[in-house]
Amino acid sequence: MTRRACAALVRAMVLLGCASGAFAQPAIDELRIIAPAAPGGGWDQTARAMQQALQRAGLVRIAPVENVPGAAGTIGLARFIGAEAGRSDVVLVSGLIMLGGIVTHRAPVTLHDVTPLARLTGEYEVIAVPAASPFRTLRDLLDAFIARPESISWGGGSAGGSDQILAGLVADAVGVPPARVNYIAFSGGGESMAAILGGQVSAGINGLAEFAPQIEAGTLRPLAISSAERLAGVDVPTLREQGLPIEFENWRSLAAPPGLAAADRARLESLIAAMVKSPPWRETLARYRWLDRYLAGDAFVRFAAAEESRVRNVLRKFAEGQSGGTAPEPYPWIVIAGLLVTGGLLGRQVFRSAGARDTSRSPRAPVVLLAAAVALHLLLLENAGFVIAAAVLFWLAARAFDPRHPLRDGCFAVGVSVSAYVLFARVLHLSLPAGLLAGWL
Amino acid sequence: MQTIELLRDGFASALSWGHLLWALAGVTLGTAVGVLPGIGPALTVALLLPITFNLDPTSAFIMFGGIYYGAMYGGSTTSILLNTPGETGSIATAIDGHAMARQGRGASALTTAAIGSFVAGTLATIALTFFSPLLASAALRFGPAEYFALSVLAFMTASALIGGSLARGLFSLFLGLALGLIGIDQLTGNARFAFGIPQLLDGIDVLILVIGLFAVGETFFQVWRHGRDAPAVVALQTFTGMSREDWRRSWRPWLRGTAIGFPLGVLPVGGSVIPTFLSYSVEKRLSARPEEFGHGAIEGVAGPEAANNAAAAGVLVPLLTLGLPSSATAAVLLAAFEQYGLQPGPLLFSSRPDLVWTLIASLYIGNAMLLVLNLPLVRVWARVMLVPRPLLFGGILVLASLGTYSLNSSALDVVLLFAAGVVGCAMRAHDVPLVPAVLGLVLGPLAELQFRRALAISEGDPSVFVTRPLCAALLAASAVALILPVVFKGRRP
Repeated sequence: MTRRACAALVRAMVLLGCASGAFAQPAIDELRIIAPAAPGGGWDQTARAMQQALQRAGLVRIAPVENVPGAAGTIGLARFIGAEAGRSDVVLVSGLIMLGGIVTHRAPVTLHDVTPLARLTGEYEVIAVPAASPFRTLRDLLDAFIARPESISWGGGSAGGSDQILAGLVADAVGVPPARVNYIAFSGGGESMAAILGGQVSAGINGLAEFAPQIEAGTLRPLAISSAERLAGVDVPTLREQGLPIEFENWRSLAAPPGLAAADRARLESLIAAMVKSPPWRETLARYRWLDRYLAGDAFVRFAAAEESRVRNVLRKFAEGQSGGTAPEPYPWIVIAGLLVTGGLLGRQVFRSAGARDTSRSPRAPVVLLAAAVALHLLLLENAGFVIAAAVLFWLAARAFDPRHPLRDGCFAVGVSVSAYVLFARVLHLSLPAGLLAGWL
Repeated sequence: MQTIELLRDGFASALSWGHLLWALAGVTLGTAVGVLPGIGPALTVALLLPITFNLDPTSAFIMFGGIYYGAMYGGSTTSILLNTPGETGSIATAIDGHAMARQGRGASALTTAAIGSFVAGTLATIALTFFSPLLASAALRFGPAEYFALSVLAFMTASALIGGSLARGLFSLFLGLALGLIGIDQLTGNARFAFGIPQLLDGIDVLILVIGLFAVGETFFQVWRHGRDAPAVVALQTFTGMSREDWRRSWRPWLRGTAIGFPLGVLPVGGSVIPTFLSYSVEKRLSARPEEFGHGAIEGVAGPEAANNAAAAGVLVPLLTLGLPSSATAAVLLAAFEQYGLQPGPLLFSSRPDLVWTLIASLYIGNAMLLVLNLPLVRVWARVMLVPRPLLFGGILVLASLGTYSLNSSALDVVLLFAAGVVGCAMRAHDVPLVPAVLGLVLGPLAELQFRRALAISEGDPSVFVTRPLCAALLAASAVALILPVVFKGRRP
């Protein structure tokens, strides 16, 4: 009966193979795309849209997407710099939000540590209020904001992200210290949208694409858009025409690893240039309502540098009031006190009953064996690779339970490790350390 | 009624032999990939979406329906058999499901999970069909204050999980709360208790703690306590699904799980932990044999599994009616819908009724197909428990490490996994319950964040928690949940 499960997996492999198969003979065999975020977000969508465009246009045979989420993309950035240096078959999706993340989380690496390739897309931000809001225009909102800044709550995405940066730029422009912006950070587009639609916050900031369906339906009233000029088909006044000298976009870009040879860099740049002209990419842009903001070479490097100083400046102003202003939060200390008290109580109970407890255990050898299995596994995982580390873990752990079948256990250890690796790394294209066996599997 | 006509049209375009084959393929792939540890529903759907890109919209939607429900269901299998939940929604299932498997009742646990998922999925899809707009606008009335009250309610009802010794239960809870402190403070973006380690900035993934405490901890404990002469896992009693008794004890939890899971799934800040654990504690409270919980009570599998699948259908309500993706999986689906020119949002039902109703019909089909596929497979899966112990536990350790690594591609996570395993082993040795720690890790940060958000919006005025009627009602319900058991216990002789 396990045949049926096998058949299902084989079918999965065949289907995945078909889906990623190429139409023509592409110039590049494999290009890995790292999305430094979890599935579902803007970077992940950009990476998967690139995957589709590159494969469908026949530019690359296979373009697997790897998600390395964490800390506004800075975990992915650090890993990209450390693990991929000098490689020419991998790119990282990044952008404005990563600049914010680097500042907010004081990341040890920056976008100066990678090879910039190009800006791909941009998205303008919209300030909107729910349809039932008393604020009819941006002026109404800003008057209330200037009169009493904290009374206006601004809902948007995570702290240090594009939405908060725009809130800071607006406050700065009307003479309110950004530290006094009552910014309510939500963890994602859906969560902040629900709070805005439900009138939980006074005003909301989000990308145009996310707001557009609500604006069309009349559930949200847009007050301003952050583009330089009015966009065709979008009847929303710009910040600039309402007297605020702000242009702002949430741009997404691509980077290659550091230490790239000039020829490799040129090859990747021409690949991206070909991709942005390809029909599949044009279709994707239209579908997601992304703007084509392709910018490459020195112009992009200059643009990124200017953006970096702007982001640093605003986020520094946000932080200025906070350090002195907010009292230490009581909650963490309550939790720690609770842990210590209950831990003490438990320790006393355990200590008292220690005499009564039956402490007889079987010989120590299995425990030592198991500890060795785990220690070796952790040691080998990133050095010798997943297959070797997993086989060692399996074999020693099995022997801790029953030492009588070393050969059988060894066969299973190798079999399970190799098939797990092949399934995850080769069929599903998830990243596992290949290590010493990189050339073999 | 117009809805029924529209739904009939949806079925008319969705039902054909070719489409049924796509549904079967979707369910098979979704389940197969969803079963793998560390690959949750969001990643499953993201990995499998490219397959649907070459299909016409109807076939693609049929396959989505299958993949979505398949991925949601897949996690329960590893929870029950290996104590290794693949996603947060199946943590509650693991508690009694794995206990059942160790007693040789794995087939019953898997069957009640499969049928419960089907019942809940179907009922929830019916609710989605008829009440979507109504529910979606009700969900928007939930603000930070209400979410705070909801998490308090979840804490209170979960006191049923604390077990015999108050000191042990509270210690476990505070351990979870303390671990929940680690990471970026979402409201300010400042790091807390991260000790300068970048990988800790996003906090400790609840799945790592769960797999560590449960699966790895159990393995360590077996070796620590019993060494080589450990008792064998009880031989399988039956390969043939549920007994009459099992049916009698399962059907009410299925319905209650659906009633709890669906509305909570509709809330844009849901997650599947609250509905599944609420269902678990409700079942324990209502059971005539609460002492069986934790030792293989079938209600503890039937309820949470139903709640999990009903919540999965609930997530589609704000997605389709308001365009709000309230989970990572929903965000991936949203991107997929856009592929076909569907722009989820308030106008979706009026602008593309043909596609929407085809999609809803596909959900019914995918859900039914899931049952057709999985009931026969139950017998195959149940045999996993016959694998010799050294190989079974060796395999569990490898799968735990594999699943953890593929969550974030981080070796530090694997270190945390085995550290949690050691803690889990020590907690078992001293009879400290494990589940309160998991709840603390999930609910603590949620409660704190929503509490502070509510206060920030009200400019520090705490009266929001009593002046907002919905919030006040939820807090009152929490108080009742806390006091009632004490009163009842006092009256009992």
